[in-house]
Amino acid sequence: MGDENQSDDVSQAALDNVKENEQKENGDAVKSDKIKVDILLKATGNAPIMKKKKWAVDAEKPIGWIMEFVKKYLKLEPEEKLFLYVNQTFAPSPDQIIKNLYECFGTDGKLVLHYCKTQAWG
Amino acid sequence: MANDREVLREIWDGKIPICFHLAQEEIMEIQQPDPFYVMVPRLSYFPLVTDKMKRHFLRYISQENADNEMWLDYNGQALKWHYPIGFLYDLFCGNDPQLPWTLTVHFTKFPETVLLHCPNKDVVEAHYMSTVKEADVLKHRGQVMSTMQKKDHNQLWLGLQNDKFDQFWAINRRLMESHGDNEGFKHIPIRIYTDDGISCQRLISPKNNDGSRKTVQQLLSELYPDKPEVKLRTHGVLIPLDTPLQWLSEHMSYPDNFLHICLC
Repeated sequence: MGDENQSDDVSQAALDNVKENEQKENGDAVKSDKIKVDILLKATGNAPIMKKKKWAVDAEKPIGWIMEFVKKYLKLEPEEKLFLYVNQTFAPSPDQIIKNLYECFGTDGKLVLHYCKTQAWG
Repeated sequence: MANDREVLREIWDGKIPICFHLAQEEIMEIQQPDPFYVMVPRLSYFPLVTDKMKRHFLRYISQENADNEMWLDYNGQALKWHYPIGFLYDLFCGNDPQLPWTLTVHFTKFPETVLLHCPNKDVVEAHYMSTVKEADVLKHRGQVMSTMQKKDHNQLWLGLQNDKFDQFWAINRRLMESHGDNEGFKHIPIRIYTDDGISCQRLISPKNNDGSRKTVQQLLSELYPDKPEVKLRTHGVLIPLDTPLQWLSEHMSYPDNFLHICLC
């Protein structure tokens, strides 16, 4: 399976609100109805590394939405689990709003999230 | 330091009377089940206090549903089990107290889009410990939890589960100590919820720019400048506006080390 096909295989609905992080050369802000938060997804343990790691996500969405997105992107089986960690310390509740996490734990303009298929930091 | 033991004890002992009713459509027996009355700790979580209630209602439902996950609603709103009981009551009934708090019990039609699943108490513990860790990151850059042993983490959970104030606070007091040389935490673990249940969590310092202790009034002016009449409620009381945030965090946080506060 070629890299360029990976995006196509992921459900379009899942990718609907997710845009690749883009730099605008002329510095204009991206016009958008919704505020986006930059996230960086890092694999941990023996989790597969995502080809595309940087994403701009709707700030009002719950973090569970990102969990589902990563599961689809990595093509995990329904019964396989995915754990998401902030600060390599705690697993946020799936209904926590991304904006809250970004405001409290974001660094250098992005929220870094570590993911793995088994419990990493308890 | 959380020095005011009397306040800590009052908060710990807070209870709410609940009247559980089985959802009408679940009842398979001709005889209607009696409602189940129980006093529950404000600081606890529903999955930890509903075993007896569940056994009481199980014989009235269709046996094919007996292994289904139980869930609760108040006035048609599904209750998130991962929120502390007292906070849920404040959120739904804070402005208009209803005692006993009457809740409906379900064993079917689990609301997948609203509630997290809770197959067993380990899930509650995992959620609880994660929240404590998050609070510690905010207060101490995570240093207190990371230097504690696993048995100390366990003691927090056991103290909460078994209603053992001294056992719990023997460990929790370390999480209530100030950060480094400062007087106070680096940031205050606080979640402020509006009526719709949506929470706001931001980096809040216990100090103003001039080094003075930040009060609730000052926090409100920062966060809600266009709502001068707004008030905060937690543990069933409106918080006096001159309360210092550091004191509030040390004494009125839930066992998960967060302040859970309703905006009203």
